[in-house]
Amino acid sequence: MNLTDEQIERYSRHIILKDIGGIGQEKILNAKVLVIGSGGLGAPVLLYLAAAGVGTLGIVDGDVVDVTNLQRQVIHHTPDVGVPKVESAKAKINAINPDVKVIVHYELAMAHNILDLIKDYDFIIDGTDNFPAKFLINDACVMAGKPYSHGGILRFDGQTMTHVPGSACYRCIFKEPPPKNAVPTCSQAGVLGAIAGILGTTQAAEALKYITGAGELLTNQLLVLDALKMRFRNVKVKKNPNCPVCGTNPTITELKDEEQVVCDLK
Amino acid sequence: MQFYEVPDTLYAEQDKFELDIEEFKKGNIDPVKFKGIRVAHGVYEQRQPDTYMIRIRCAAGGITPTQLKKVAELGDLYGSGEVHFTTRQEVQVHDVKIDGVMPVIRGLNEVQLSSRGGGGNTIRNILTSPDSGVSLDEVFDVDPYAIALTTRMIHETDSWNLPRKFKIAFSKNSDDDSITQTTCLGFVAQVKDEQKGFAVYCAGGMGAKPMVGHELFDFVPDTKVYHVTKALKVMFDKHGNRRSKFSSRIKFLWKKLDREEFVRLFAEEYDKIKDDASLNLELPTLENAALDATIPVETAQGDAFELWKRRYVSAQKQAGLVSIKLPLVLGDLLRKDADKLSAFLAEFGENTIRCDRAQNMRLRNIPEAYLGNAFNIISKLEHTLVGHAPFIGNMINCTGAQTCKLGICLPRGLSSHIRERLTSSDLDLDAIPDFRLNMSGCPNTCGMHHIAHLGFFGKVGRKDGDMYPAYNVLTGGKVEMGHTQYAERQDELPVHFIPDFAHDFLKVWIDRKVKGTYDTYYDFLEAEGNDLVKSLCAQYKDVPTFDENPDFYVDFGAKKRLSMDEIGTAECSAGVFDMIDVDRKSIKNNTKLLDQELGAEEDAKVLYRILFSSARMLLVTRGLDANTDEMVFSLFIKHFIKTGIVSDEFEDVVKVGRDASKDELVLHKDKVLGLAAAMTALYESMDDSLRFKTKDGDVINEIEAAEEESSATPKSSIIEKDFRGVPCPMNFVKTKLVLEAMKSGEFLRIMLDDGEPIQNVPNSVKLEGHKVLSQTQLGAFWEVLIEKV
Repeated sequence: MNLTDEQIERYSRHIILKDIGGIGQEKILNAKVLVIGSGGLGAPVLLYLAAAGVGTLGIVDGDVVDVTNLQRQVIHHTPDVGVPKVESAKAKINAINPDVKVIVHYELAMAHNILDLIKDYDFIIDGTDNFPAKFLINDACVMAGKPYSHGGILRFDGQTMTHVPGSACYRCIFKEPPPKNAVPTCSQAGVLGAIAGILGTTQAAEALKYITGAGELLTNQLLVLDALKMRFRNVKVKKNPNCPVCGTNPTITELKDEEQVVCDLK
Repeated sequence: MQFYEVPDTLYAEQDKFELDIEEFKKGNIDPVKFKGIRVAHGVYEQRQPDTYMIRIRCAAGGITPTQLKKVAELGDLYGSGEVHFTTRQEVQVHDVKIDGVMPVIRGLNEVQLSSRGGGGNTIRNILTSPDSGVSLDEVFDVDPYAIALTTRMIHETDSWNLPRKFKIAFSKNSDDDSITQTTCLGFVAQVKDEQKGFAVYCAGGMGAKPMVGHELFDFVPDTKVYHVTKALKVMFDKHGNRRSKFSSRIKFLWKKLDREEFVRLFAEEYDKIKDDASLNLELPTLENAALDATIPVETAQGDAFELWKRRYVSAQKQAGLVSIKLPLVLGDLLRKDADKLSAFLAEFGENTIRCDRAQNMRLRNIPEAYLGNAFNIISKLEHTLVGHAPFIGNMINCTGAQTCKLGICLPRGLSSHIRERLTSSDLDLDAIPDFRLNMSGCPNTCGMHHIAHLGFFGKVGRKDGDMYPAYNVLTGGKVEMGHTQYAERQDELPVHFIPDFAHDFLKVWIDRKVKGTYDTYYDFLEAEGNDLVKSLCAQYKDVPTFDENPDFYVDFGAKKRLSMDEIGTAECSAGVFDMIDVDRKSIKNNTKLLDQELGAEEDAKVLYRILFSSARMLLVTRGLDANTDEMVFSLFIKHFIKTGIVSDEFEDVVKVGRDASKDELVLHKDKVLGLAAAMTALYESMDDSLRFKTKDGDVINEIEAAEEESSATPKSSIIEKDFRGVPCPMNFVKTKLVLEAMKSGEFLRIMLDDGEPIQNVPNSVKLEGHKVLSQTQLGAFWEVLIEKV
């Protein structure tokens, strides 16, 4: 056992859990998780993974904090407006838990850099706010054989799923990004801030379950939330043999940046 | 005069005890067995090995000047040189070596004092209000009842082997200064229709599991004191729990049975004897008067004399006589002080001394004219607290880890530091003469923290894994007939902060008391006192690390760091189970040796020891005592095999052990181990009264169960961890971490505190899927054996 007395105290509520224990906590402390996007989803993910003691947290984000982010991106505070999000997030994580090593990537995840970004991490979290990025993350993780958690939110709705090598991927369900104008982004359509918390903490829990091996992951199912009725549904999904990225004969073999859809909705 | 008469049989018992001491010194008596013998003679082993203290009965707290002089002399010759006054109105001689024990006991005979029943599972010293007989506001004098009852009880042989100790107290009025609701049986003087009598309370007790006593009678005539006591004693003897010495006091019987069943069982015994007037106690005449002294009257004058009178002298109901309170330092009276005092008091007669529960002396029946003499003598005694306000002398503490094997902290050291802190402050301690500041070194309650206005009891604090001495803080203990309530824990403090804490708290209370802000102390606590305790504790919480301040980790009065290693088991309850334990351990340890392949010759010896322990283990439950190995085997065959308690399949192997050579036992290894397992199972199946389980009157054959049991007996080495002083849930967290690092089938033994830890940790361990093989209470702590699954 390498846990220090201070760590035993700090993580006692984890250690008490039958499915985690000291062994599980050590796995958490040794784990490396990359969070792409430190916005609405990324904020709760980072806060909870930091508190949980994930040993290395990588953050990918090319934005700076904007005052409109503060309604839901709870890792960023009012004085942080104008600060790169990765730096703002890193400061909070250091304050929460000095055990955590934070690696910041002040850039956007793109086809040319994503494989390099994810290669050193055990688990990836998709906390982005646009379809091209979500598909790019999916494709990159499938190709690199990395497990990851997909998450998406809009208005009062949210969805999440977990992919591990061999299980259904995002493209098994959604072949390609929706056509232009079909789906607005948060900035145009709005989002209830708390939804980001619900989905983000779910993604964080999935990451911790993956690291410790506790329970069953949200694989081969899509968890869909309708917060207006506050209903959660687990939609079963299957690995698609004709999936363009993980199917038997994949047609996507190279990463490319999809065109960012521009929303015309006014 | 004397305060009780010892039975004639005592001298023969002492002769036997002397022989036992000789045998013990030669190594022929097991220390555990010897403990059972000596404790019943009031001889306790101190924390220092081979050092004993002797507790001397003082019925009604009374001791004569002649007796006191003798005890002081014996203490000086064979012990530490002083008489120690206890919180149970008796005296003790400390630091006696084994060779001094008999000289002390025989010396006590010369003045009709006895240490018999000072400890053990007996009728303990019977307490009364220390000013009974002289108090202006008493209902009537209760001392004669305590004295007559003591003499009667110590003449009855069944008083010496009760399931557990039996404590009795008498109070002179409803103030209940003998705190009857904290004892097994308590009598409070009442008069109803011009008839003297008592309100009777029973089944109270303090200790680690305190319970407030219940009313048994609102009134019984004073002629029934013996009948009530006898009935309760017989009932306790029949129904009390002899199996666990930690839940064997009368209070636990009440808890187990509930009022209705308890009263019914009591009434069963009481009704048999209650109308038998021949059993009435013969009350001694106990005159509170003074002889004509032969010494010349001295006078004293000045502020010091006047202040002393105000603080310590009170008028008696006997005109012209006064009582004097003499506050001692931690209950100790030096021999030279005792000599001076005895000589002075003897001038006025033998009925001139009582011990009180605050470890102080109460002198009585002194003619007012001799107050000057008294002051001149008392103010020159070398070792008293007479120069301080009464509050200081009223502080109660147990001896703690200084002598007691159970102690965690050293309340004598704490008491001295509080005293220094308070007396060097400007607090008006004369404003609170009756304030009870009591402290115990451990959760047991020898320092009476349960009834304290402000109380402390020792605990282990931890900082970064290092242990430091600390105390729990309690407030609000209350004593009054029918309304006694125990102090409640508020918080905890490192010992080194307590003197300042006590000062800060009392400063506020004294201010409110002087201003008359509240009607009672309890109103004060509710309105602000308890909040004050909590805010002060928060203020005094910064514990330095061991590197920053190693002294913080050393108790007041201790020479080295706090350690748990020396804490032992309670002395006073040595009984049957300790003796059984010797054999159980022998079976366990020797069985382990068999795995080591020591060769046939060694194995034969080991098997013989297992067989012998198996045969002897439960003989004691049948009242059998064997002096030779052969006798052990013969008694076992007769009382266990021939009676069918144990299967006759084992008869042959027992006979091999008895008659043949040890070497042959190697051929019967399975049978020997089978018997060992059977006896262990039989032991487990015994009920609280040491009877074996029966079904329709038949003895259940436990052999099959026994074999299963034995497979669960630990074979590999056991990992030991001490989690005392580690709060929930960290104790479980640490237990779990140790278990995770172990292999399946390995054993872990952990030590846990009583209370929340023992209630939670074993269950949590079970929920993890591990096996909890046993939980054993050792005083304030528990030992839990776990098998990793």
